[in-house]
Amino acid sequence: MPATHHVFRAQLTSARRREGFIFFLFGAATYFVLLCGAVVIGTIVVRGAGTVFQARAPFINTTFFTEAPESLHVFQYQGRKMELGDAAFRTFEAAHPDVAKGKSDSYVYSAGGIFPCIVGTVLLVVGSMAIALTLGVCAAIYLNEYARDGTFIRFVRLAILNLAGVPSIVFGLFGFGIFVIFFGWNVSLLAGWFTLAFMVLPVIITASEESLKAVPKGFREGSLALGATKWQTIIKNVLPYALPGILTSSILGIARVAGETAPIMFTAAYVVRDKLPWQVDKFSDFFFQGVMALPYHIYVVSSKIPQNEYTERVQYGTAFVFLLIVALIATASIVLRNRLRNRYKW
Amino acid sequence: MEASSPASHLLVNKSRIRLFGLSFDDCIRVFFGGNAIVSIIVLALITYFLFREGAGFFGQNRQNLTVYRQAGLEYIDFIRAQQDDHTALTRYLSDLRLRQFRHYTQEAKLPVADANAKLAVFDDFAGQFGDTVEPIRTLVSDLTEQASAIKEKFTVMEDKKEERRQLMAEGRKGDADRVIITPVNFAEELKPIIGTLPAYKEASAEFSRRIEQVLATAPVLPTPELQVRMDRFKQLTREYLSGFPAVVSHLESWDYAKPVPAVQALTSFIFGREWLTASFWQDWYGVIPLLVGSLMVSAVALLLAVPLGVGAAIYVNQIATPAEQKFIKPGIEFISAIPSVVLGFFGIAVLGQALRALSQASWLSWVPGFPYSERLNILTAGCLLALMAVPTIFTLAEDALNNVPRAFKEASFALGATRLQTVIKIIVPASLSGIISAVLLGLGRVIGETMVVLLCAGNRIAIPDFSAGLAVVTQPVHTMTGIIAQEMGEVVQGSIHYRALFVVGILLFFLSLGINYVAQIVVRRYRISIG
Repeated sequence: MPATHHVFRAQLTSARRREGFIFFLFGAATYFVLLCGAVVIGTIVVRGAGTVFQARAPFINTTFFTEAPESLHVFQYQGRKMELGDAAFRTFEAAHPDVAKGKSDSYVYSAGGIFPCIVGTVLLVVGSMAIALTLGVCAAIYLNEYARDGTFIRFVRLAILNLAGVPSIVFGLFGFGIFVIFFGWNVSLLAGWFTLAFMVLPVIITASEESLKAVPKGFREGSLALGATKWQTIIKNVLPYALPGILTSSILGIARVAGETAPIMFTAAYVVRDKLPWQVDKFSDFFFQGVMALPYHIYVVSSKIPQNEYTERVQYGTAFVFLLIVALIATASIVLRNRLRNRYKW
Repeated sequence: MEASSPASHLLVNKSRIRLFGLSFDDCIRVFFGGNAIVSIIVLALITYFLFREGAGFFGQNRQNLTVYRQAGLEYIDFIRAQQDDHTALTRYLSDLRLRQFRHYTQEAKLPVADANAKLAVFDDFAGQFGDTVEPIRTLVSDLTEQASAIKEKFTVMEDKKEERRQLMAEGRKGDADRVIITPVNFAEELKPIIGTLPAYKEASAEFSRRIEQVLATAPVLPTPELQVRMDRFKQLTREYLSGFPAVVSHLESWDYAKPVPAVQALTSFIFGREWLTASFWQDWYGVIPLLVGSLMVSAVALLLAVPLGVGAAIYVNQIATPAEQKFIKPGIEFISAIPSVVLGFFGIAVLGQALRALSQASWLSWVPGFPYSERLNILTAGCLLALMAVPTIFTLAEDALNNVPRAFKEASFALGATRLQTVIKIIVPASLSGIISAVLLGLGRVIGETMVVLLCAGNRIAIPDFSAGLAVVTQPVHTMTGIIAQEMGEVVQGSIHYRALFVVGILLFFLSLGINYVAQIVVRRYRISIG
């Protein structure tokens, strides 16, 4: 007699069937969401891979990563269809004067690469995270180590909660109003750094506080009992154990900073800029220059130029590279967090 | 006493350094505390700077409305409204023609030429009806030129005043005195415009007489349904005609010198149904189309995201096996990491077209609004925003479900409830406050989202046509976040348009604060006490 036919087997009643059906619906909702995410990522990866990788060695389209965006010229020459970037087109035109007579279509930003955008995004992320981490970790130390419950602390926590809900475009307006206009920094790295740092501050504070909370009370009490001051306790016995947690949780903040477009639209991003950030006359100019940034570049190429087979390459390619960077950051955060959970067990 | 003093000196050696009367430890404490205040300061600064840039809007808008009145634009718009209503009626007629045409070609199976021949009488009628407005139209176009000229004069005067003020500020009094300002005498300038009142009365009477005449010749339509529409048209026209005396009384009682109340600068923003900028005639800054756009897109997004997000949370928390949980949770977290601009790009490049193609499939033609032709609309943006809101709702709702004590579940099982009954009747109600606040925070995220709506909502500044029923979701809209992102880069600093965008930002800021606040209240007040 098979095991499934024993006497006490649950009867397949209508209630049970209904339960199965409704649970199936919940499952379907879950997997549908995952599927949608997979479709979005999959489409961009598949189409973008064509731009980023190539069949010949070195298999990666190096010009796409190392050059600035250019206009793409598409024209007929001696019965052949030619596609050349702006610079190459000029030299070609000089060598073959008869080209100028033929019809030539040009598409902005569709040739060359996205090197300046990558550089700009990296600079924006590094600067704003440095500011946000300094402010955020210190605030979290105060909230977790020093503060006693009271009106003031309630206000601080309320402010943090509300700050987390402020729309990113409002941060953009705020940054524009205070840094660009009031402080007169114009559209600059510095303005972008502070705007992004304030935007991500609640994330950092919450993450840091959680990591500090995870350090057992005994560590502090032991240190204090040995005669150390509060400050010595924090710097020697709390922070070292909390820091890995703070850093990994903050990586999610990095993903947010790298991914936001609205706050940098009026504070730090240029549509196009010929010079690279380090090509400045004097050192202080470095902080007061606008940069190109990946998310803003995606916005520009997807809304300001028409969709066709020539522009598609740069659109999908940029989106792919951007997604890859953000995905790497997010994966690193998830993996590190899981590993950390297993490492410290008190 | 003598003996204890050196001993206490040995013990308390921590606070030797003092700064402003604070020990070293106190200083550190103050330093950290200072960092904690930053979040309050930032919140205060956001409020302050939004108001600093935006507050000037109301004064400028009042000025804007005052000029609208003083230059006689308001006067002419009374007559223009009459003309516009007539245009709406002719549009009704052309819609009726389309329906008849469809009736002839599709149901009666007539060739196109025959159908057109049958419609000749109707076309004649519609043409005559359209021409009746001629006397009014001529009048309006004359008046428009005159009023524009007055407004232009006023603008020139304002520019001169500004120039003079700047010269004075630079200390060049001589140059400043040379700037000649000729004040605009509105009473004098408006005389010819107001003087057209008798002519208007005549034209209006002529207009109404002609309409009556044409209406009497209205053709009989082939089917009862169409005839009902024709009768409706006649009724609408009669109502339209009965509104004429009101226009005359408006014009007679109109006074250019009547001051614009200060509160109207605010109400014309909050209740204004038009957002019209850089117009040759009159700029309007009414937030309603943008607010409605934002709300519509959010409603669609939440309608999709709430069942998916809450369903997924219940599944992961109550039903899924540990192995499933291990990849579903990071998977959904991963979706939340997709940058919004990438989702927006996906909407433009793929989803917009895919949804339109789907809407044109014949087996889906029963869905309201299908098929549609606008690739970027509320639906496209709503779908993408739903994908953004799902991770927020999922994570928070899952937390809420997780906080329900095990004992609740065990007690339910012990009483003989099935798993479904336990989930629906015990677990979900116990965590309902958390789930509602999750949905509210999801709403906050969706309403404040910029890039997706900027790229995918279609960016048409108009209140969607709600008479279309559910099909309204296939119309393009513009949103509050989108308009800031789109127009901020192009406006002149300090202009009324610039300030209007900041006021939209203020509205958005307080809207999100309000949503946040309600979410917190819900969690705190309606939490089932767990004890």
